[in-house]
Amino acid sequence: MIWQNYKLGDAVSKALEAITLWKTERGIIEISNGTLVIPIKLDNQEKGYVFHGHGKLLLDAIVETEEGAVGKPIEKELNEPFLMLEDTEEIREHIVEASEEDLAKIGYENKQGFVDRAEDLYDQFLKNRVYSHRRFNGDHGLIFAFPNEDSKFDILLAKGSKLVYKATDIVFVSNTNKVVLKNPDEVVCTGNGKSVVIKKGKSVIIRK
Amino acid sequence: MRIELSKDLEEEMKKLKEELADLKEQLRDVTEREHERRRGIHIDVGDHVHDYIEDVMEGVAEGIHGELEKSIFIGPRGVKILRERPYHRKEDRIEVSFPKVAEVMSALGHEHRLTILKELMRGGKYINELQEKLSEITTSTLSSHLKVLEEAGLVVQEKVRGRYLITIPGRTAYKMARRVTRFVEGRNQK
Repeated sequence: MIWQNYKLGDAVSKALEAITLWKTERGIIEISNGTLVIPIKLDNQEKGYVFHGHGKLLLDAIVETEEGAVGKPIEKELNEPFLMLEDTEEIREHIVEASEEDLAKIGYENKQGFVDRAEDLYDQFLKNRVYSHRRFNGDHGLIFAFPNEDSKFDILLAKGSKLVYKATDIVFVSNTNKVVLKNPDEVVCTGNGKSVVIKKGKSVIIRK
Repeated sequence: MRIELSKDLEEEMKKLKEELADLKEQLRDVTEREHERRRGIHIDVGDHVHDYIEDVMEGVAEGIHGELEKSIFIGPRGVKILRERPYHRKEDRIEVSFPKVAEVMSALGHEHRLTILKELMRGGKYINELQEKLSEITTSTLSSHLKVLEEAGLVVQEKVRGRYLITIPGRTAYKMARRVTRFVEGRNQK
């Protein structure tokens, strides 16, 4: 079974209240009341959602080393449609069917307008992705995909304390005390009290 | 009569010889101390021995780091040991941005901001923890000091947990400020 077997549902809903989709010590993803929601299904079971409305992503892509902190927090307004794949049971309790008025608030004339936009996003996400369902299915944690300015996706994978975030100019990988950060200025690796900082092709700081 | 004079003279001479021996002994001590001082062996670090060693070690570490900067390059194909000093390369002759220097120096130029950096050198802190250490100022004043430090790139705040962390430039700037102060104080004492 492959990614292409996932299909968009046709029920358009809205968030009844602000919903926290993901939260750890490192980051938060929230959507606000009134955000439109359309399900992603596999064998008629909901396996994720496409959202469009208002929300925010906060991620502390910061690494603490003996030499000082490296990196900066990422703050992103989620005003464009984005996609989430995960166990959706909890979210189902906080959404209801969207009305024409709810659609209009986000800028859609009708339900089909949002369905088309969500399909475009989903098709773009699936392009060149033919991963095995076996590999993806099960206890995979959360997958978020946010379209970026390069017509690609910023991807966030999260499972417990494990986190991977990849955007145009940053890669951030965190697993409890082990962290790797790559941004345009430096590459930093820390783990077990040791750290290596490589600054844009000129200096190396190695601790312990 | 001659014998008695001779005895007095003998005793006088003996006393003078003893005094001379004492003086020679004292002179030897003074000379040795002076030689030691000139050789740089005599170091009176007193109670500040830890600070002194810390300073020396900081200097050594910075020296090693400086050398590493000049001689090691890590690129996509691995580690390369440079034979030429990269500072000789054209692209490394970059002008120092004085507005940036002024911004950093200005951020350092306040007693409370230096106290904040000193506290953050010990680890990340929430604003209430910093407030405890700076109880003489209000929370809004503390926030504006933190903003100045953030804008200068010396401190970064986590958005989720809210802790403030000192950055690598922040640590370097604080150490530099401390060293400059010690240097100036040392010269003033002389």
